[in-house]
Amino acid sequence: MNADCQRYAEDPETHAAHIRDCVACREMYALLNTPVESKAVNVEKLPLAAWEGADYRSWPLVLGGALALLTVAFSLCMVAGISLFTAMTAGARFDWRGILASASEAVRPLGPIGFAAAFLIVNTILILLLRRAPRGIDA
Amino acid sequence: MRKALLLTLAILATVVTALIAAPAFKPSLSLTEAASMMTRTAVIVSILFVWIVAAIVVTLISGREIRYSSIELRTSPLHCFALGLVAVTSFVLTAILFSYLIPYVVGIPLLLALAVFAIITKIYGTIAVFHAVGTIVANARSREALSRRRWLRGDLAMVVVGVLLLGAIRLIPVVGVIVWGIASIFGVGTALATKFGRREPWFLVWRPVSAD
Repeated sequence: MNADCQRYAEDPETHAAHIRDCVACREMYALLNTPVESKAVNVEKLPLAAWEGADYRSWPLVLGGALALLTVAFSLCMVAGISLFTAMTAGARFDWRGILASASEAVRPLGPIGFAAAFLIVNTILILLLRRAPRGIDA
Repeated sequence: MRKALLLTLAILATVVTALIAAPAFKPSLSLTEAASMMTRTAVIVSILFVWIVAAIVVTLISGREIRYSSIELRTSPLHCFALGLVAVTSFVLTAILFSYLIPYVVGIPLLLALAVFAIITKIYGTIAVFHAVGTIVANARSREALSRRRWLRGDLAMVVVGVLLLGAIRLIPVVGVIVWGIASIFGVGTALATKFGRREPWFLVWRPVSAD
């Protein structure tokens, strides 16, 4: 774009002669003046978005599901002769010390250098995987 | 027709899985074995009740985040699975490293912080998996179907359907444990991939300061 083009862009009426001489401007303004083909969007034909109806709270289903599970759990606990609370604490118990000890035993053959290398490699892969942006909505 | 075929296939797959995974049939179960089996089932169902309560509370508090993580899980399942596997391995290796630091006091708070982070990731991720499973199985495919539904729509309903479905699978011996293990890996992966549904980058890109 030269100075003439700039002047035409600023005041097209005064410098109307420029558009006849400059091929680049003629092509560009012709492109800009092309009418955009617009079609009415039929919303009903668009695919269902994930957020449509997502905020709806279906309380009968939620309460029904939770109460059904509670009833089954309570009945089973009664038959087994234990309290519901005991069953919950037994299910939530997690032997992290045992798992940590067995994991330590499993990596012992690697030695300190092997363990350090494994640690670095795994965490490098983790960081590389975490750098990828989530696609989800844009996919 | 297609629905009937899918239903038949699902029932067939369940029967085959149950036949393969079920313990060898015994004509008479001893009283101790029966009691032990009953106690085990009671414990599993009690924990499922805890899961459904946790899922409802978390979905009510941050439904949009759970939905975003669920969408990510359904669009990039392989990435979520790979990330979950690597993250779980990283948690274990980091825990071992921190356990070496226990004699120097600093290891205990570090281990605690790692445990809290791992537990939150697992719980949040598993709830996202419940949502994804519920959506795959029970979500409406069109607007007409969605508007016709009275109960089976919305994030809460999808999460509850997911809990009930995965809960039913959890009751199958051997298969249930494997499926929940895989679901946990997917869950940890999707929780980390979406930064707990916030869709923000974990790391900032470094750029030098420019004068303009």
